[in-house]
Amino acid sequence: MTQYYLISKENWDKILNELLGKYDVYAPVAAEDNQDYRFILQDDIHQIIYNTPKPATPLKIFFLPVKENVVKKSASENPRLIIGSPSCDLAGLDLLDKIYLEEPFVDKFYQQRRENTILVGTSCFSTLEHCHCSSYGIKPFPEKNHDISLSVLDGQVTLQINSDKGKNFFNEINHNNSFGEAEKQELEKIDTLRVSVTKELSKTNQGLPDYSKTGELIKDTKKDIWEKYAKTCVSCGACASICPTCTCFLLIDRPGFEKIRQLDGCQYPGFEQVAAGEDPLEERFVRFRNRYLCKYVWKPEKYESIACTGCGRCIEACIGNINKNELFRELLT
Amino acid sequence: MPVTENIYEPVKAKLTNIIDESPLIKTLVLVPEKEFSFKTGEFIELTLNGIGEAPFTPSSSPLVKDKLEITVMKAGYVTGKIHQLNIGDVVGIRGPFGKGYPLEKFYGKEVLIVGGGCGFAPIRSLLYKLIAEKEKFKKVIFCYGSKTPKDCIYKTLFKELRNIEKFQVLRSVDMADEPWDETIGVVTVLLDQIKIDINNSLAIVCGPPIMMKFGTIRLLEMGYRETDIYLSMEKNMSCGLGKCGHCMLGDYLVCKDGPVFTYNEIKGLPDIWR
Ligand SMILES: Cc1cc2nc3c(=O)[nH]c(=O)nc-3n(C[C@H](O)[C@H](O)[C@H](O)COP(=O)(O)OP(=O)(O)OC[C@H]3O[C@@H](n4cnc5c(N)ncnc54)[C@H](O)[C@@H]3O)c2cc1C
Ligand code: SF4
Ligand code: SF4
Ligand code: SF4
Ligand code: FES
Repeated sequence: MTQYYLISKENWDKILNELLGKYDVYAPVAAEDNQDYRFILQDDIHQIIYNTPKPATPLKIFFLPVKENVVKKSASENPRLIIGSPSCDLAGLDLLDKIYLEEPFVDKFYQQRRENTILVGTSCFSTLEHCHCSSYGIKPFPEKNHDISLSVLDGQVTLQINSDKGKNFFNEINHNNSFGEAEKQELEKIDTLRVSVTKELSKTNQGLPDYSKTGELIKDTKKDIWEKYAKTCVSCGACASICPTCTCFLLIDRPGFEKIRQLDGCQYPGFEQVAAGEDPLEERFVRFRNRYLCKYVWKPEKYESIACTGCGRCIEACIGNINKNELFRELLT
Repeated sequence: MPVTENIYEPVKAKLTNIIDESPLIKTLVLVPEKEFSFKTGEFIELTLNGIGEAPFTPSSSPLVKDKLEITVMKAGYVTGKIHQLNIGDVVGIRGPFGKGYPLEKFYGKEVLIVGGGCGFAPIRSLLYKLIAEKEKFKKVIFCYGSKTPKDCIYKTLFKELRNIEKFQVLRSVDMADEPWDETIGVVTVLLDQIKIDINNSLAIVCGPPIMMKFGTIRLLEMGYRETDIYLSMEKNMSCGLGKCGHCMLGDYLVCKDGPVFTYNEIKGLPDIWR
């Protein structure tokens, strides 16, 4: 049963202020040329932006830090409150959960962070240039993997409680009944915005294949197309590091039998190299193709889960100006 | 099941003996701090403190519980450092990982094993298991190839095997630079010398990629079904437990879904022999 609650923005900010002592709070803040999560201190509360599309940093980084010592026990972390995660990133957690929580080899570091984190998702009331979540069946408002969904409209904050964890958290912040129940008209306003953003997305992404077709298209793609698109790839790996569903890593040994788990990616040369220098991904176009096969063919088959959320970050991040959606449009013609 | 609660943390093990098998291959005898058991065909990750980690398949009998052996060919950085270890040194072990050989499927059948080079390591473990349960198999034929007679490892084991009923052993060397009274040629030529009821048989191949490729081609020509050819795939590995993505082979992760696959399972994937 979802429940909707309402509070004035002013009072919401006061609640956040109280929470700072108990939780590590992260939320998006606008910077000069992007918007990104920030560790929120008192002075930042007014700068938090709501209902904006994806922050520059993918949500995965909160659960899989770029570098982490996975043998030496770190002190247990404070509970975390992450505000402003878009639906695409939340949907991407499906795949991370399947990989990192899979029995019998559960990653306790990932598990602890998932349990320790309250996720407050946000509805996108606008989009960024390469957003194409809706092409892959993801709505521009949170549907899964979050505890609370939050929208700010006309000086009012609406919370939609979507999990038991969210419910407990809500009870905690509502101890002196500062929230009221959201009325039908507030919810209708939010709905109207959701519908219009969904329409905008289908317009800008007209002609893109949906996720049920991308796999077949990629499987059938010939070498010359791969070579053409890989031509300007410099194997920098930005597409993989910025991707909310790329989760590959390398274990690096340190004295004391310690190990560092460092995020890695198949776009770096040597990722699959074995002894004697043999490397199945030696050729650049094969390496480039690997990412597409992984995201649209192999991961969906193996985990029955989407491995591209349509966030578009890889397109923005690519210094070779390679646009995967151009590739898909070409494949469709 | 992993022996440590933290999947990334190795269990310490003491190196109690080192056996020189060939100029490039050594067997290490390891005694883990905690009981460590594995099924034949499963592998471990061996950590050298602060240096690196690499996957190896134990070459000892899975029935022996208080120690395990791995046989390591010097092939690069980590294996080079492994060759410099001394008796008494402490290393780390994670695992066991992967799926072992599906032995129940082999019951009542004629088992053909084709091995080359260091591919003998997992095969030795398998042979110990087959010997222990020999009444369950119709016969076992082992074809082993090495570059030269010097490169042939586990020399004393061959004598033993040849005295076991139901077991037949054939050896070849690519090149005989010292007296050699067995076959000369690549390991696949041994397949022309064997008598086997292919319809009631399965083949296990373990060795360098080139041997796996030509071995498979020859077995298919002989009439083996694609589902009856078991191959050990070697891929780059880091975590060993299905998370890091390094060992991807199409929609398989070799560390978790393998390392042993039937040819049928992988034949459609790109670049399997690389
Ligand atoms: C399931 C399985 C079982 C195996 N069983 C055996 C066996 O029983 N016996 C045997 O001899 N061999 C076995 N091998 C092969 C053995 O694991 C390799 O020979 C070994 O990993 C080579 O490592 P190297 O560092 O010596 O070689 P290198 O050529 O130096 O390195 C090979 C690759 O490993 C990675 N690597 C190496 N060092 C580092 C480092 N310091 N940091 C990060 N990455 C590094 C790199 O990606 C490099 O491309 C097995 C392999 C697999 C997959
Ligand atoms: S891809 Fe969709 S959900 Fe993600 S930020 Fe853009 S509009 Fe929002
Ligand atoms: S592949 Fe690109 S669009 Fe898809 S989830 Fe990753 S970064 Fe986003
Ligand atoms: S695309 Fe490459 S980096 Fe991303 S998950 Fe797949 S193999 Fe790993
Ligand atoms: S070695 Fe990490 S997934 Fe296989």
